[in-house]
Amino acid sequence: MSSVAFPAFDNTSDDPTVRAPLTTPGQNFQTITETVCRVVERPRPPLGWYIAFAIAVAWTGVFFLLVVYLVSTGIGVWGNNVPVAWAFDIVNFVFWIGIGHAGTLISAILFLFRQKWRTSINRAAEAMTIFAVICAGLFPALHVGRVWVEYWLFPYPNQMGMWPNFRSPLVWDVVAVSTYGTVSLLFWYLGMIPDLATLRDRATGTVRKLLYGLFALGWRGSARQWHRYERAYLLLAALSTPLVLSVHSVVSTDFAVAQLPGWHVTLFPPYFVAGAIFSGFAMVVTLMVPARAFFGLKDLITIRHLENMNKFILATGCMVGYAYALEVFASWYSGNQYEWFAMVNRAVGPYAWCYWTMVFCNVVVPQLFWFKSWRTSPWRMVLVAVLVNVGMWMERFVIIVVSLSRDFLPSSWEIYKPTWVDLGMLAGSFGLFFTLFLLFCRYLPMVAMAEVKAVLPAAHGSGHRH
Amino acid sequence: MLPHDVRPSEFVGSEEGGPNDGAGLAHATYWRSLAELANSQEFRALAEAEFPAAEDPSGLSRRRWLQLMGASLVLAGVNGCRWKKDEILPLTTQPPDRLPGQFQRFATAREMAGAAIGLWVTSVDGRPIKIEGNPKHPASLGATDAWSQASILELYDPDRAQWIVDRTGQEEIAQTWGRFAEWLRPQLAELEKAQGAGLAILSEASSSPTLIGLRDRLLKRFPQAAWFEYEPISRDNERLGSRLAFGQVVRTQLALDKARVIVCLDADVLGVHPAAVRYARDFSKGRDPAAGPMNRLYVVEPSFTITGSVADHRVPLRCSEIAWFAKALHAAVVGQAGENATTGEPTARADSSTQEAQESSAATATADVALMLSFVQAMARDLKANGPNTAVVAGPRQPPEVHALVHEINATLGNVGTVVWYTADPDPDRLPHVEAMKVLCEAMSAGKVQMLVILGGNPVYDAPADVGFAEAIGKVPARIHLSLYDNETSRRCTWLLPRSHYLESWGDARAWDGTYSVVQPLIAPLYDTRSAIELLAMLDGQAEVDPRALVRERFQQIVGEGWESRWEAALESGLLADSAWPPTTPQLARKPAPSILGSPPERGNGAWEVVFAPDASVYDGRFANNGWLQEMPDPITKLTWDNALLLSPASAASLGVEHGAVVRLSLGGREASLPIFVTPGVASGTLVVALGYGRTAAGKVGGDLEGGTPIVGFNVYPLRTSQAMGFARGASLTPTGDTYPLATTQDHSIIDVVGMRARGQRVGDLIREFTLDEYREKSKADPHFARHVQHLPPLESLWQEFSYDGRRWGMTIDLSKCIGCSACVVACQAENNIPVVGKDRVLRGREMHWLRVDRYYRGDAANPRAAHQVILCQQCENAPCEQVCPVAATVHSREGLNDMVYNRCVGTRYCSNNCPYKVRRFNFFNYRKDLEDPENEVRKMVLNPEVTVRSRGVMEKCTFCVQRIQAAKIDAKNRRVSIPDGAIQTACQQVCPTQAIVFGDLNYKDDQGRPSRVAQLRQADRAYEILAELNVKPRTSYLAVIRNPNPDVESLALKFT
Repeated sequence: MSSVAFPAFDNTSDDPTVRAPLTTPGQNFQTITETVCRVVERPRPPLGWYIAFAIAVAWTGVFFLLVVYLVSTGIGVWGNNVPVAWAFDIVNFVFWIGIGHAGTLISAILFLFRQKWRTSINRAAEAMTIFAVICAGLFPALHVGRVWVEYWLFPYPNQMGMWPNFRSPLVWDVVAVSTYGTVSLLFWYLGMIPDLATLRDRATGTVRKLLYGLFALGWRGSARQWHRYERAYLLLAALSTPLVLSVHSVVSTDFAVAQLPGWHVTLFPPYFVAGAIFSGFAMVVTLMVPARAFFGLKDLITIRHLENMNKFILATGCMVGYAYALEVFASWYSGNQYEWFAMVNRAVGPYAWCYWTMVFCNVVVPQLFWFKSWRTSPWRMVLVAVLVNVGMWMERFVIIVVSLSRDFLPSSWEIYKPTWVDLGMLAGSFGLFFTLFLLFCRYLPMVAMAEVKAVLPAAHGSGHRH
Repeated sequence: MLPHDVRPSEFVGSEEGGPNDGAGLAHATYWRSLAELANSQEFRALAEAEFPAAEDPSGLSRRRWLQLMGASLVLAGVNGCRWKKDEILPLTTQPPDRLPGQFQRFATAREMAGAAIGLWVTSVDGRPIKIEGNPKHPASLGATDAWSQASILELYDPDRAQWIVDRTGQEEIAQTWGRFAEWLRPQLAELEKAQGAGLAILSEASSSPTLIGLRDRLLKRFPQAAWFEYEPISRDNERLGSRLAFGQVVRTQLALDKARVIVCLDADVLGVHPAAVRYARDFSKGRDPAAGPMNRLYVVEPSFTITGSVADHRVPLRCSEIAWFAKALHAAVVGQAGENATTGEPTARADSSTQEAQESSAATATADVALMLSFVQAMARDLKANGPNTAVVAGPRQPPEVHALVHEINATLGNVGTVVWYTADPDPDRLPHVEAMKVLCEAMSAGKVQMLVILGGNPVYDAPADVGFAEAIGKVPARIHLSLYDNETSRRCTWLLPRSHYLESWGDARAWDGTYSVVQPLIAPLYDTRSAIELLAMLDGQAEVDPRALVRERFQQIVGEGWESRWEAALESGLLADSAWPPTTPQLARKPAPSILGSPPERGNGAWEVVFAPDASVYDGRFANNGWLQEMPDPITKLTWDNALLLSPASAASLGVEHGAVVRLSLGGREASLPIFVTPGVASGTLVVALGYGRTAAGKVGGDLEGGTPIVGFNVYPLRTSQAMGFARGASLTPTGDTYPLATTQDHSIIDVVGMRARGQRVGDLIREFTLDEYREKSKADPHFARHVQHLPPLESLWQEFSYDGRRWGMTIDLSKCIGCSACVVACQAENNIPVVGKDRVLRGREMHWLRVDRYYRGDAANPRAAHQVILCQQCENAPCEQVCPVAATVHSREGLNDMVYNRCVGTRYCSNNCPYKVRRFNFFNYRKDLEDPENEVRKMVLNPEVTVRSRGVMEKCTFCVQRIQAAKIDAKNRRVSIPDGAIQTACQQVCPTQAIVFGDLNYKDDQGRPSRVAQLRQADRAYEILAELNVKPRTSYLAVIRNPNPDVESLALKFT
């Protein structure tokens, strides 16, 4: 079945008396299954996929080669120094972990709030979360000086009789990120089981049959299974919801607990969470717009979905802007010369361009989403979303590097400059992220078929119109 | 698996004393270590076999099987270890005075540029590892300079000359001393026939009585031979000045502890002076307002020296104008000589005499000149008021006339005999160094020299540019260089003779004041090297040379009766008691008369004055291959691994050049390119260049063109001529358009306006500074006034705080005494096995020094006041680093130290981020990788066995020398005594020439219930803690700087451009 074009179709109406359709008209269970499974079942993906995959894999290769270089030579291959002991490593970590927020927010929180439009995008968003958490987890794992004894950060019984130091936010980080990663993975996988069973049932090759069959865990679609499934899904959603808020709050304590001017800010937990959702949605938009075009998913991921996400970006962008303003105010109001200098230094110091890039990308650019044309035009929204992610990366750079480079004693001030390894690993982490995402697009159902079917008018019987 | 032909029973036989073909175990009944046992082939085979007895259990008893299993399990563990195993063999018969691992101290002395400093050297297992000052030695008083500290690294430098290199032929040949002696014998016979005509010896300055004795003997044997002495940084102007003033050569000695007013005219008496360590101690006695009257230091100099940096009044003045300044001072002081020289009141005559002088220069006198003269007036009044308790000192760059003026000023002030005194020069008849070099070069160029013996030094590199030493030496057929390194000079010689380091040779030396010390070897020569006295004895025709006997013989001559017992005492204490030269009282040859003050020299337009300065790190270039010194930040500029062209911000602006821009400096047709370093405090129109860089044959650290090591810094000797060894006028600059990275450890990058402003705001809190009057007033009102400069709200801790019932280590650092000499930086590096990282990593901000000396400027941008602040781990009681370490690798000890557990550290670097003082240092790389190179094996000998050598990826920092604390505690426990206050000294404290650092137990009470010194100082009125508002409760306190300005000068409001 070729994709059906409905040029006149518009479900972005804000008329409250009409419930906006969540798919293009004419969708039924059959078409949804076809649309989604077709992507996976095509004998060969489109050429664009190969090109993108080749580039992504190449950068992944660069990433791991640089990891070998880093581990064999030392942290010195990066540009870190004293006082800037954390730089791209932790900037990238916080950036990726922030990206990883949108998926679980969409799946869990919007699920609990009965936001049915989430169904078309939650699978891809969750996948993105998992991959972002993988990228995020690599950086703190690699940034330690002695990678080979990293397991000492985990509380495990050992012959040394040593616990980790539970006062340290890094230990909290380990717990928060690993919990988040585990729960997100479980949530994603659990939600995918019925769809994997669909793919299994439709599979033609033995390998496919075997693998999809293995991961479908014997799903038969019986009422009892559906009952259990719904319960488990609800429980995991309830479990994930506080995690969405806690992970980035904990990550923010890495900074807030420290006494460095520019880090020691009680505003950080909510500010970081808002920023994470902001960047996470921006990344979902960045991924979904091309994905729905290339894989023919426009019927399921409609402009309304994208517009809703853009509204999130606008809202969280305003929150982030408020946080920036409050940060400046609080540092001035504190009357603390170090805190105030940290702010002034951001704005007019040697890294001022980073700060103003951040403000422009995160505060000014999202204001375009007040205009419906920007919210509903796919390529314009991608532009905004990419800029938002540039801005959010800059935000972490400003917080981490700029604060560290000028702390209390002027004698230890120092400028940080990244090395080619820093830049290579940043680019390489994107390579890894896109490699994983492209593999996901090729081999797993990008849209939660079972859930989308559940929000079709047809699912509610005739006479009940959405 | 066990081969069948090696029966376990055969092995059993060996253990019972039978023959064994295993390595080194032929007669072993008992094995001493598992490793030794493991050396036997059978055992290795057994160990490799998983179940040695399983193959043939019948032949093995159960007991034996269990023994072997146990042993093989242990050995399997041995093989599994990560680190390479080395055998250690205990001594079978232990010498009575030798305990493995126990530290021993021996006294010795180190001579540099003709003056000695007494040392105590710590030795462990037969290798010297650390140098301390000899508390009994007058030039040391227990402290040292950075050069002495770093000389231990020189001993173990693998780049040292290790064998004789014969360059007589086309190729270089490694030779032995025997072959050299064979070559030398006919040459000497030849020379003897000619009465020594054609033999020239060029020596570095040496005070060694043995060497001087051998010199005299040699010159008796070869009466026509010529002996020359040369030092590139020479104090000959002092000698010539004293001859002008007194008609005889005398040496000036100072007792700065008795001085109330000190005037230094381009004289860095606390930094570069043969007695600087002693003078720094004496000077510091007058810097504690609670301990007695304070002294007042005036410094007039072309650019900041450490002496200038601690001056109460400092005037930046061109080197060439200092003579005029000295004349003005002379006029103001001596102008009314004989009347009432010690009266404090300025008399009408004094004023009129200078007014005359002023009038005489009225034609050119500008407002600047008038202001300067008022300054001179005020200074002169101050000097006269303190008559006998004053000292005026001129520096070695200044011409002899200035020195003569200074002698007259001192004589008029009446301070001779109290602060200033004179001793006879040990070698009054020798040619001045520059003259000697000229005469030698002429003789060589004329072909009159057949054999040139160079004892140490590096004249090809550092001789005046215009005498053409490098060309002239080529005309000498036999050129012999005794040298520690195969340096620029050695490479132009026909014979390189490797010289013994002072720590491996016998010798003797005299301090600046004449105190005699024996140079006692700490270790047998590492290579086939000889000392200067051995070579001289060889030239004298002695076949078998025993340097110890030579020194003893000379000692006997000096001491006479009863020398044997005094020899023992001299070896033990490091000096011969009461051997300082007696004071002489030379009479002024000319009657001091009011001098006519001319106008200050014309400054000229666009003409620059170049000042050649000794370098705080490499001195004249001799320490170029010493990594510790190369990486030691310059006390003023904080520059490492380079020299540069220092000029003031105003000069840089007028030239339109920026920091780091490379310029071509030309002077009298000679050129050198070097980068600009913009720094305040340099006199206008003055360019300061440090000597000693740009070595082309220093070694793998300091640069070696042939060996492919990049050159460090820029050589400015080619600009330095025999007419202008100190400073030269008429230089010009042309920018080249290139830039050059300069690796500084502070202000790594040029600071922008916001940064400057913030720094300016903070300096007042970090360095609390008061004038003496303010101090008197405030300390009366508030016994903790320095601490109360900052008002702190009640501080509460998030955690339950530690309580300290036992010891509580603490430190105080007296900023009023600290002169910023940076000896502590190197001492810390030596004590704590701190690696050298190199210029590139300093540029990246990865220097490893645990202890740094921050330097801040305050006040007028053209002539700021400088202050030094030693920053090391403050050992916070509420340590922010401890809280954030996820693996508890940095933890609090019961005595309040922030211990660093290196083998627990995983390297998250969070502790560094949370350290407000940024004293933590991270091993970004394996900085000890070069030690794996077999040629660097010798470098491991310098490592302190008490301190872990840190691996890559771990954080490290100061621990208040915890190894010293532990050693003292263990020792005290063994002897069942308590540790007295002051018994434990940290390395930085021990080396400090001014005793600015005090360490001890804050809880200590002696028998009378008196607290420790550190506890008293922590409660002193001047004590404060930096960043105390963070409630980190640092254990390190600073004592505020107290300046003692002259109110008359303050009111002048001197401005400089």
